[in-house]
Amino acid sequence: MAVEIDSEDPERFFVRGKGRYVDDIKLEGMLHLHVVRSPYARARVISVSGGITGNELRASMEAVGEDAGGEENTSVSFPVLATETVNYVGQPVAAVLGDDRYEAEDRADEVDVQYEPLTPVMDPERSLESGPIHRQMKDNLVAESVLGKDFKANAPIELEDTLRMARMSPNPLEPRGLVAAYDGSMLTVYASTQSVFSWREGLAGSLGMPEDKIRVVQMDTGGAFGSKGGIYPEYVVAAHAAMKTKRPVKWIENRYEHLMTTDQGRGVRAKMKVYAERNGKVKGLKADLLIDAGAYPVGGGGWVASWISSQLIGPYYIPKAYATSRAVLTNKVNLGPYRGAGRPEAAFFMERMMDKVADETGLDQAEVRMRNTTTKGWTTPLGRKTPPSKPFFNEALRAFKYSSRKKKEKLGLSLFVLVPASSGGESAKVAVKGGRVKVWMGGNSHGQGHGLFAKMLASKELGVPENLIDFQHTDTSALSSGVGSWGSRTAMLGGGAVVEASRKLKAAAKKKLGKRYSKARLLEGEYEAEAFFKPKDFLNSLGANMASARITKVGMGTIDEVVSYYDVGTPLTPYMVESQIEGGTAQGLGEVMYEQVLYSEDGQLLTPSIADAGLIHSTEMPKVVAMTGTHRSSLKHGAKGLGESPTIGVPPAATRALEVALGRRFSYLPIEQEKLWAVELPKE
Amino acid sequence: MNPPEFEYVAPKTVQEAVDLLKVRGEWAKVLAGGQSLIPLLKLRLASPALLVDIGKVPGLDYLAESDGHLRMGAMVRVADLNRSALLKKKYPAIHDASGVIADPLVRNLGTVGGNISHGDPANDLPAVMLASEGEMAATGSGGNRVIKAEDFFTDTFTTALAHDEILTEVRVPVPLPRSGGAYLKVEQKVGDFASAGVAVQLSVDRASMCTKVGIGLTAVGPTAVKAKKAEEAMLGKQVTDRVAVAEAAALAADAATPTSDIRGTAEYKKRLVRLLVARGLKRASERAGGKE
Ligand SMILES: Cc1cc2nc3c(=O)[nH]c(=O)nc-3n(C[C@H](O)[C@H](O)[C@H](O)COP(=O)(O)OP(=O)(O)OC[C@H]3O[C@@H](n4cnc5c(N)ncnc54)[C@H](O)[C@@H]3O)c2cc1C
Repeated sequence: MAVEIDSEDPERFFVRGKGRYVDDIKLEGMLHLHVVRSPYARARVISVSGGITGNELRASMEAVGEDAGGEENTSVSFPVLATETVNYVGQPVAAVLGDDRYEAEDRADEVDVQYEPLTPVMDPERSLESGPIHRQMKDNLVAESVLGKDFKANAPIELEDTLRMARMSPNPLEPRGLVAAYDGSMLTVYASTQSVFSWREGLAGSLGMPEDKIRVVQMDTGGAFGSKGGIYPEYVVAAHAAMKTKRPVKWIENRYEHLMTTDQGRGVRAKMKVYAERNGKVKGLKADLLIDAGAYPVGGGGWVASWISSQLIGPYYIPKAYATSRAVLTNKVNLGPYRGAGRPEAAFFMERMMDKVADETGLDQAEVRMRNTTTKGWTTPLGRKTPPSKPFFNEALRAFKYSSRKKKEKLGLSLFVLVPASSGGESAKVAVKGGRVKVWMGGNSHGQGHGLFAKMLASKELGVPENLIDFQHTDTSALSSGVGSWGSRTAMLGGGAVVEASRKLKAAAKKKLGKRYSKARLLEGEYEAEAFFKPKDFLNSLGANMASARITKVGMGTIDEVVSYYDVGTPLTPYMVESQIEGGTAQGLGEVMYEQVLYSEDGQLLTPSIADAGLIHSTEMPKVVAMTGTHRSSLKHGAKGLGESPTIGVPPAATRALEVALGRRFSYLPIEQEKLWAVELPKE
Repeated sequence: MNPPEFEYVAPKTVQEAVDLLKVRGEWAKVLAGGQSLIPLLKLRLASPALLVDIGKVPGLDYLAESDGHLRMGAMVRVADLNRSALLKKKYPAIHDASGVIADPLVRNLGTVGGNISHGDPANDLPAVMLASEGEMAATGSGGNRVIKAEDFFTDTFTTALAHDEILTEVRVPVPLPRSGGAYLKVEQKVGDFASAGVAVQLSVDRASMCTKVGIGLTAVGPTAVKAKKAEEAMLGKQVTDRVAVAEAAALAADAATPTSDIRGTAEYKKRLVRLLVARGLKRASERAGGKE
């Protein structure tokens, strides 16, 4: 089914300038915070004077200097403001305040920091043989994972490749930011966030304050892609400054700071080896992954190692598999989630190998994949529950018109499993008062328009028209608990919670009103119900992409069209489904052809502007065709995950299409411009 | 990303502007379209105490042929170059370049004078001026003078302009009959600075023999590069002479001294120069023959 565009366009609100973002907040007496950052990738801090320093924080708070990330498996904490060493360019060292941003930035001159530069560790391949970055650790290993069992293989085809995905900056339109205000007892934080609850937990932990003295309110949030889920040093400093000065404090990240100091995703190297029969059936997989965890073991490094390797088998039936994976420290900003967060890596590595099998056996790329799909759900040797993939792949190929299009076009395909972050559940609250309904979700929209489906679901359950329903931003004071919006989870879990809370509310009203219950009477009363929804079933879903490549007049390979076929279950708001796919396709293509974060050997950022970081423009966008397979999930409202699908499925399909068009194998992303030429460049 | 405090003055005449620059010395800077200068201020890589905005000086935005030259006032916007029918027809190299400089937003504000005065080897117009026998007219406290494009670009972000000199006009000779030009640029994405760019301006006689050849290179050296040996190699040769074209392309690549960076390796950029010089000669000669 092709997604229809429905007439209600929620983003009209934003493009008319009616949004209210953190930076739109103006409070009486508000101060602006500017953070003084390390110019070195690695150095000893000899002294810091002027401004707010790490020593001041330590003296005034219980737990400052503790890690701001709160991940497990850490032997080193991530300082809010560095006092002993700095370990990436841009690391916060001190902070200054001003009545406006200009003054705050001028005040940076009042801070004097003496450094003794040290040689940074930049190449993850050399991290383990380099001395430890942190003296508290014996080496630079953050996490190690071994999944499956080693095996001896005896297959007619053995194929190996080393694959690489560059580090990427999340780069939402709106960078990070907050306003912190303190009234002498309560700290209120207005946040650009994916999760008010994880911010509250992180602030409480870092500041040594009880959670009930902190309120976090989400403002309109202009994108996140993983960068706004957890807490960062700047938030703790701003909160401290607000409490110290008794004045509201605003901190807004600029783009340069975003590129330097917001956690980056990807940055993984994989050595892959597959064992296959001549008929294309893959019998075994061995993988070794090396993950660039960045400077502190608190970032994504801890969980990413096993998370990626557990997904390597994807939608295929591969009976034997053995995957080792290590995350190692380097003097770069921490590794963090970026749209897909490990899922795209796993899919890219596996799909590249499937294409290699196709090339080796001479079989069509679709045929090789088909032969490796399953008709039954199963649990892979790497421990992932996987749905049957054969029927879905058949549907996708039909939807793509693959067999007729492949005769004329240079096509690439991908098939993948989306493993959503569905564990942990999510909350929602529904309240009726003054003739209107209010709906909250624990994890909220940061640009996806979640309010649309929340209203639609509440309307359906309560029988109240949507124009009487107001969707509320998340606020820790409005809900008793909540999780956050990431990992393709919110339509399923937030949506499920809205359904449950609505049913609860309706049941309460019915109980009170008895036979007199009607929709009109419901709206006359005052009711409130909160639900926490935790699905029992596993909610993995399947997706496929097809990309078509062509050679431009100039003589370079480019992507002409990207088609997606994702099982989103019941699409709640078709227009938003399509928008998610368009945006994610742009990011997926950016990853293939342009986007990356690069550092020099001495740890300086070589991509300090949004242009250098390679963000794709409308001019590079191909035709995007978004199709959905609608196989209801087991949830009451039938939803499945979506948000991350395009960044998982587009890179391998687009890479393959370029490979077919140019006749040259691609193992690294992004593909260098030099390798995209179809014509032979003159040589010396 | 917020500049420190500075003073702003918008004089009404070039002389007034020059006087201010003289009096305030190194602490004063000319502001034209602001598309290179404002980013430097925001990053605090430059912190002048005074900005002298020449945007309010009347009469610096003409674009016309007179006395054997195409004359472009320093404040002509890049977007205006791109809209000009005259340029499209008779000055295709300038026209080509004006369509691939940055993006429409930058082109609407960025000026011819600024693009050239900034001395950025990655800017596109300098190579075009080197290929087209361009000249820069400047006014300073010592009076007026004209500087040849070849003598203008002295180093990265450095030009022959004295601190208190203002570039007022950029001009190129009206081309002879049977002349053509082209500007070819390879970038990552639309709006990016060049990985490499090549400007060609040539004239041919009735027998398609080159009587005049100019070749300029973008983003492959500390300044825009005039590929003199390549120009000489084409003189007196047929534009269809494959051997001569290949020779010229190789000589142009020899003149390039690119560095490896996020846009590609030095080796790659040299190869791009060879490809683009050969293509540029072809396109310019087609245009000289009246095509397009
Ligand atoms: C995102 C982006 C992408 C870009 N991409 C490209 C590109 O692909 N190709 C390209 O060519 N350019 C590119 N540019 C640069 C752009 O073309 C600038 O407009 C140009 O470099 C400077 O022109 P301006 O009028 O904006 O000058 P300003 O920024 O105002 O000034 C630049 C410098 O020149 C001096 N100056 C300006 N005018 C005069 C004068 N008349 N006399 C003496 N000194 C003067 C100023 O003092 C300053 O030092 C890009 C810029 C941006 C922001």
